[in-house]
Parts: sequence; C-alpha cells; structure tokens
Amino acid sequence: MVSARPTLAALALTLTASAGCADLPEGGVARGAVLYQNCDQCHGKAGEGSTLVQAPPIAGLPGWYIEEQVLHFQWGWRGAHPDDVEGLKMRPMSRTIKSDADVKVVAEYVSSLPAAATPATLTGDAEKGKAGFATCSACHGADGAGNEAMKAPPIKQLPDWYIVRQIGKFKAGIRGYQAEDAAGATMKGIAGTVADDAAARDLAAYIQTL
Amino acid sequence: MLEHYMIQGSSYASHIDGLVWVVLLITTFWFLLAEGMFFYLLWRYREQPGKKALYINDDLEHAIKYKWVEIPHRLILICDVAVILGAVSVWSEVKLSMPVTDETVRITAQQWAWTFRHAGADGELDTADDIVTVDDLHVQLGKTYKFELAAKDVLHSFSVPVFRLKQDAIPGRVISGWFKPTQAGEFDVQCAEICGIGHGIMPARLYVETPEAHAEWIAHPTHYLAYKNK
Ligand SMILES: [Cu+2]
Repeated sequence: MVSARPTLAALALTLTASAGCADLPEGGVARGAVLYQNCDQCHGKAGEGSTLVQAPPIAGLPGWYIEEQVLHFQWGWRGAHPDDVEGLKMRPMSRTIKSDADVKVVAEYVSSLPAAATPATLTGDAEKGKAGFATCSACHGADGAGNEAMKAPPIKQLPDWYIVRQIGKFKAGIRGYQAEDAAGATMKGIAGTVADDAAARDLAAYIQTL
Repeated sequence: MLEHYMIQGSSYASHIDGLVWVVLLITTFWFLLAEGMFFYLLWRYREQPGKKALYINDDLEHAIKYKWVEIPHRLILICDVAVILGAVSVWSEVKLSMPVTDETVRITAQQWAWTFRHAGADGELDTADDIVTVDDLHVQLGKTYKFELAAKDVLHSFSVPVFRLKQDAIPGRVISGWFKPTQAGEFDVQCAEICGIGHGIMPARLYVETPEAHAEWIAHPTHYLAYKNK
C-alpha cells in the first residue's frame, strides 16, 4: 500500500525545474551537472560534503555506487528508517531526480569530480584499527579501494566521522535493513562485529592512513 | 461551498469554515458598500458646467466626519465583536480544549520527513506493537485522536488541509492537540513552515480508514521494511 505520491512527484518536478530546466542538456555529464544543482546545497559544489549538515563528500566515488545508492534512497532501501536522521533528508532529495537515466548522468557527473583529501576530525588508534580492518579488506580491499563485483564501494577517501556514523547505523539496523539489498545486509552483519564506538574510531583512523 | 474545494474531513472543519464565512461576508459587505459609495460620489460630484468647487469649512467638516467616519467605524466595531466571539469559540474548541480521546499518535517532524508512532492493536503507545512509519499516517474513521507533536531539528508545521488543522512543531517542545476524522479517504499532509531546502518536498500521506480497513492495516502495517518500491 505504498502510495505513488503524486504530490511529491509534482513538487519534485517544480524543484527540478527551478534547477534550470529550460537549458537542461539532453544527456551526458553536462545534464548531470545541471541536475546536480539540487545536490550541491548539502554535498557542496565540488562534492566536498559538509560536516555541518552531515553530508558526506561524494566527489570521485564510482558511478555504479552513486547510482545504486540514489536508487536505494528512492526505493526506501536506505534512508527510510525512522531513526536515520540524515538518511531521511536524503530520501526526498533523491526523489527529485525523476528518471533512472537522470540518476545515471548525475552519478557520472559526481564521479567525474576530483576527490579531495579529508582531514581527521576524530582521534582513534590506527594500529588497533589495522587489526580490525582485516575483516573489511575481504570486500573493500586491503587498500580500501573497493570492489565493484562485490558491490563494496571504495572507503579509503571517506571522512572518519562518516565511517563511524555509518558503522553505527549498520550496527543498529538503521542502514542495510532491507533484505533485498544484499550488500547492505552483509555490511549490517559485519558491522555487528565492531565492538563499540571506540573500535569504529580506530578503524576510521586506520582507513585515513590508506 | 468551501467544502466543494476542500473536503471537510474532521469534526471541527465545518466550524473553521463557518468562521471563514463570517469574516468573508462581513468584509465583502463593507467592501462593496465603501467602493460603491466611492464610485457613486465620483460620478455624482463630477465636473459640471456652471458649478464651482467649494472649500469645506470647519463646522461642515465636523458633521461630515461624524456621518461618514464615526458611524461606519462604530458599526465595524460591532462586526469585529462578532468575529472575535466566533474566533474565540472555535479556537477554544480546536486548540484550547482536549476532548476525551480514544488513542494517541506521536508525530515527529524533521528535515524532511514525518515520523508517526501509531499505538497498534492494543491502542497504547510505547508498547511492543507500536507501528512506526515515515510519511504515512493511518487513522480510523470516527475515532478521536490526541496527537503529540515534536520537532527534531528546526521549526516545522503539521498541516492537514482536510482537517483544517495546522500546528507548528517546535524543537524542544511537545505540543498536544486533537482531531476526529469524519471522512474516509487518502489525503495530503504538508509541512507548512519553511524548514530548509527540502521544505517543499516534505509531504506525508494521511489514510483515514474504516474500522475494518484500519484493523487490516494494523495486522499488515506498511512500515519502513515494506518500502520496496518508489
Ligand atoms: Cu518541515
């Protein structure tokens, strides 16, 4: 009984229109750049993210991962949990992208942005984190560069606060709750093995060194 | 006539509409009267051959003032009293009083979603069978609901046009109110207080269900795990 939400669709249309529909290119990265104007309010013009609104940097992430996550937000596979404060912000924003083709071009555009280094904001023990990272490396790679075949995104460029937050969400079942989201459900199980917040911070500190 | 444009979906919707009518009729009456007089005078005292314009002296002005300003002013004050009496009685019914309620629903606003905690089968909040949904509010036709409205981050406003209900949500406060749905159907909820870039896309859906349909929903609720489609 999930509704089609015609109101939301209409509003999304308006919002996208305000992003310069008149000169929206037919396709490709140029179209993605225009559509991205809805995203840059939180994720930044260069995709650099914002700690203030807890929006992660997304520049340079692989296109397949961005596309998949935006779709998951649209479908309610991610960001629909009542306790996912940041996810519930991303959920309606993801739905302002009206077609799967547009999700693809936005993903291509974001992927084309150069990733920037993320400064450490937390204190963790990278040495301790290194030991725990063995579990992560099975999917995300020893260098944290990710593995598309296993649907494991690169994590080496992620800011520490985001890593800790997401491990916490996976652990609490706020993310990865949807059984059909196999990779998310796997990550939920793995995150359960991270003992506590301190262990998550150690992991993040180690990932910063990659 | 207002219900022609927007269903009156709650026990007090027609009372709010009645108030709108009182204000509309009074203002329309005075508007037409004043504008009618204005254009009549323009026409009546237009420039005419052989007639000279006159300056008014003080005595004359005082009499004119009394007739054209003081009398209408006092009549309008009487109209104001009528509006205030109507407004206070509706305000007291909708916002100040709390009738005996059948069930409580907890509403949480945040950027940019509505979270609803429904009491579930036992009719009691904060029990294991509570049903928590995002952007979907399910209520039973004819039941009187108390709501507890909170905001997680910034100001929002819980607006349900068919109920004629609008209540600001304020961080740090839990604001109580009530409604009694009187029409089954699917209706809009929309945030009515600017709350950030996603404010315009912060709607929710209200389902007013017959007792059978509502029981069916409680047995098979559509919470976040069931959101498998767009
Ligand atoms: Cu809002």
